[in-house]
Amino acid sequence: MTTAADLQPARKARNRKVGLMALSAALAMLGLGYASVPLYRMFCEATGFGGTTKRVDEAQAATVQDSGRTISIRFDANVERGMPWQFKPLQRTDTVSIGARDMALFWARNTSDKTVTGTASFNVEPEQAAPYFNKIQCFCFTEQVLKPGEEVRMPVLYYIDPAILDDPDNKDVQQITLSYTFHVTSTGDAKTLDRTQAGG
Amino acid sequence: MATTADHFQAHSEDHGHHDHDHKPAFFARWFMSTNHKDIGTMYLIFAIIAGIVGGAISGMMRVELAHPGIQYLDTFARWFGAVNPDFNTTLHTWNVLITAHGLIMVFFMVMPAMIGGFGNWFVPLMIGAPDMAFPRMNNISFWLTVAGFFSLMCSAFVPGGTGNGAGTGWTVYAPLSTSGSPGPAVDFGIFSLHLAGAGSIMGAINFITTILNMRAPGMTLHKMPLFVWSMLVTAFLLLLSLPVLAAAITMLLTDRNFGTTFFDASGGGDPILYQHLFWFFGHPEVYIMILPGFGIISQIVSTFSKKPVFGYLGMAYAMVAIGVVGFIVWAHHMYATGLSVNTKMYFTAATMVIAVPTGIKIFSWIATMWGGSVTFKSPMVWALGFIFLFTVGGVTGVVLANGGVDDVMHDTYYVVAHFHYVLSLGAVTALFAGFYYWFPKMSGRMHSEFLAHVHFVIFFIGVNMIFFPMHFLGLQGMPRRYPDYAEAYEHWNHVATIGYMVMATSLVVWFINIIYAYTAGKKAEDNYWGEGATTLEWTLTSPPPYHQFETLPVIGDTVHH
Amino acid sequence: MTFGKTIHGLGQAIGGLGLSVAGLLTAVVPAFAQDAASSAPAAPSALATGAAQGAAVASGAGSYTPMKPVEGIGMPIDGAYGLQTQFSKTGEYGEWIHDIILMPIITAICVLVLALLVVIAVRFNRRRNPVASKTSHNTLLEVVWTLVPVLILIGIAVPSIDLIAKQYKPAPEGALTIKVTGNQWFWTYGYPDNGDFEVISNMLNIPGQPVINNGVREVGSKPWDGPSHLEVDNRMVVPVGEPIRLQITAADVIHSFAVPSLWFKLDAVPGRINEKVLVVEKPGVYYGQCSELCGAKHGYMPIAVEALPRAQYNAWVLTHAGGAIDTGKKPAAAAATPAPAADASEAPAPDATAEAE
Repeated sequence: MTTAADLQPARKARNRKVGLMALSAALAMLGLGYASVPLYRMFCEATGFGGTTKRVDEAQAATVQDSGRTISIRFDANVERGMPWQFKPLQRTDTVSIGARDMALFWARNTSDKTVTGTASFNVEPEQAAPYFNKIQCFCFTEQVLKPGEEVRMPVLYYIDPAILDDPDNKDVQQITLSYTFHVTSTGDAKTLDRTQAGG
Repeated sequence: MATTADHFQAHSEDHGHHDHDHKPAFFARWFMSTNHKDIGTMYLIFAIIAGIVGGAISGMMRVELAHPGIQYLDTFARWFGAVNPDFNTTLHTWNVLITAHGLIMVFFMVMPAMIGGFGNWFVPLMIGAPDMAFPRMNNISFWLTVAGFFSLMCSAFVPGGTGNGAGTGWTVYAPLSTSGSPGPAVDFGIFSLHLAGAGSIMGAINFITTILNMRAPGMTLHKMPLFVWSMLVTAFLLLLSLPVLAAAITMLLTDRNFGTTFFDASGGGDPILYQHLFWFFGHPEVYIMILPGFGIISQIVSTFSKKPVFGYLGMAYAMVAIGVVGFIVWAHHMYATGLSVNTKMYFTAATMVIAVPTGIKIFSWIATMWGGSVTFKSPMVWALGFIFLFTVGGVTGVVLANGGVDDVMHDTYYVVAHFHYVLSLGAVTALFAGFYYWFPKMSGRMHSEFLAHVHFVIFFIGVNMIFFPMHFLGLQGMPRRYPDYAEAYEHWNHVATIGYMVMATSLVVWFINIIYAYTAGKKAEDNYWGEGATTLEWTLTSPPPYHQFETLPVIGDTVHH
Repeated sequence: MTFGKTIHGLGQAIGGLGLSVAGLLTAVVPAFAQDAASSAPAAPSALATGAAQGAAVASGAGSYTPMKPVEGIGMPIDGAYGLQTQFSKTGEYGEWIHDIILMPIITAICVLVLALLVVIAVRFNRRRNPVASKTSHNTLLEVVWTLVPVLILIGIAVPSIDLIAKQYKPAPEGALTIKVTGNQWFWTYGYPDNGDFEVISNMLNIPGQPVINNGVREVGSKPWDGPSHLEVDNRMVVPVGEPIRLQITAADVIHSFAVPSLWFKLDAVPGRINEKVLVVEKPGVYYGQCSELCGAKHGYMPIAVEALPRAQYNAWVLTHAGGAIDTGKKPAAAAATPAPAADASEAPAPDATAEAE
């Protein structure tokens, strides 16, 4: 007959081993939870998931050929609630050659009496067109600072990758919308305002 | 052995006991307990208390929803400390109620009862182990869960934006839970999840180790009772999904308090990522709540049919399959968030796959009973109720799995009906089945079979009256989480509120039955269900000795789950 | 909560169950919406008045009188069992999948399980069958109940996937675009193709209830007001019968734009737009409600979509300051849309921040 006590010492060591393995699995999942933030961003940038556009440099952009086919682009602009900016595209729609670089202009104005720094989030609809939407230069790459009452025109330099013409998921896409939303990153108080004016 | 030190020693390296029922004194026994049966009992009592709180909250919701307009919320707002609540504060109270109801029922009622209660009590007994692998960690798990519950209760009385309490829904979606809910209430709520989650992860480690290491000689994995199998799969789901939730809500916490922007578009974050993380945990979570129920039902169906479970291996691996597939279907909770067409198609197909192992379970239970010599004792009646109600909840899940159809049902009462059929009518029915199955084993006293049947009949009518009409409301478009509704939704809401009262009556019968058992109940024999009950807990006395299996049982080839 | 009403409710519930079984057997699933069908004849009269208004505005000046909704159309019906009657192509397809494919299958499964349980109770109870069989395996049976559900699910998946594909078919280039923004706790509707005016839409207050939106009238104070909790001061007016590109976003927290009778639901997420096509087949008023928890007044930000023939829609547009008749309807016109800064568009990109004016 085996008693529980007989098994105890060997069992304790084995328990510790299995318990630690389980604990490390839990910790690995915890790590994965945090890692999901950069991983998700990379995944979105690689696949266009969530309507994420691609960012390319001049060298990459130079290799693209104009396909001669056109597509309509729509521009959309939003500001988050409470942000004292007006923000509009200067063209509602534009018909562009697929593969040729194009520029769109947006216009923003700070309606408050404080310096406001903003950043723009963006996405593309329909989502399946996102991986073919390449931005060479964009005001959304950096923060934008507007002094009280200041107006600014902001360009986006982009092109549509001709590979979109070969993608069956995109065969019905006739118009692509590029949307921006501006968010406040910081609002200057009197001090930073002074400094901005002094610097400007 | 009156001191704690002695008691701990009893589990480490002592050389056997002279007295089986040598129990520590009250404080040491109940507050510093390392005994799996005592901890299981505490979990069950805790779950009953939390269930009463959560059930009372649903009563508050149902009474408000009996008619269009706002009738009682104002009073409820005062209960949470609002002095002269304005209309927003009054409405905020509604969101606090739905949030608290969801969190309590999921984290502090179903999970503690299923895993902490029945799991602690019967996993060691069924595999022939003297206790859990880490008895002291078991104790910590329990008290962390209790602390989590208190943290959640505290949150109701501190500011949470438009009023006192966390009004974010149990899903705690950003940005409503970050920039949308200033005040400490949501922090308390998140902390509550941290505590309960940490407790559950420790519990999961404990169950995995116990089941993998502490089985009696001859108890191979393929001879384990299905309840133990269900706990093993559940423990793995907990282990792999809860840390992801912990990470997600920690990021919420830093977004709220320390200026990070993980889920805030203004800093390059994405609120949709929170939903992906939440549901990566949230979908396995629903299986965490129902799988132990599957296990309980398998034991009961086999016992009262006097037959071994039909297709044992298929049953065990169906649960494994449900667990595995459960990790890759999460975005079906997010069909309306603007997923791309291909993503939606994938999640539609993947979700439907889960219906296959679930169907195997339903049909195997039926085949177990087929050809059996079935007695309709109270646990069996509850189990039959479970099989039918879970089927109803399951098939509406197939409807909701269709991404295109979900466009009209998402976030309506159809979803509420669906998940209450699988949880309130599924998991809770399984809990009651398990309760009547094992209560005499745990307490040593027989309950009244008559009252248990009455309890079932009233409960069955009540819950169906509450939740069946919700399908109709959902198809007609009534959104969930609404304190007030258009007049055209009044009829079925009214029926549901009456159903709640019926269901509440059944709980009174249940409490009377417990009182009856302790005052007038017969003493329970070792195996009071007779020849069909073949698992190891039936070889012990009722209640089992404080320390069991000091001489390990040996499992022969004939013993069957 | 009188006893009589309780009994009535129970009777209805039981009737509902019976009806769904009947619907399964005869495939007359639309019977679910009997109430809707009986009130349908009222619809043409509303359309007729709508047409009369259309004639009145044909002269060009902007004019608009809100349409009176038809009882039971585009809104819930008390005590009904099924889906709201659908007024879009995808809605009709979805309704067909639900009523003709899904409902019969799931009802049959539930009835099958229930029947088997009843047979067990009758045939395999201890009295009728004192000695239990010891069967615990039957490979054929296990293969069958694995494969048959697979086949059924494939049968469901084919139309279901097709429905998703149809719902996601992108809008044609010239489709009218409407911008929907969710706010705590109201909706705004922007019309970028019609002069970029914006409509702010608040729920009407309910008599006898606390004021929900200050300065907004009570429901029922105008002859065209629909049901309480659903009617708004300014509806989202859309042209009927043509694809509309709905672009949805939110200004603060997540909301969800949902109209059950148009089979439409899409979350409004701050910081991004979601897009889907809406085609309303018949003129009328269609109600919906915010469908993602968004704070205290989540229950008080309904959606009212009024679909009008194109001429009347144009007349409605002209009632707004800056409202212009849609020039983006045809692709050619879209290209010619005046763009204030189009001349600068080919210039090399200057540094964004440096270009302050």
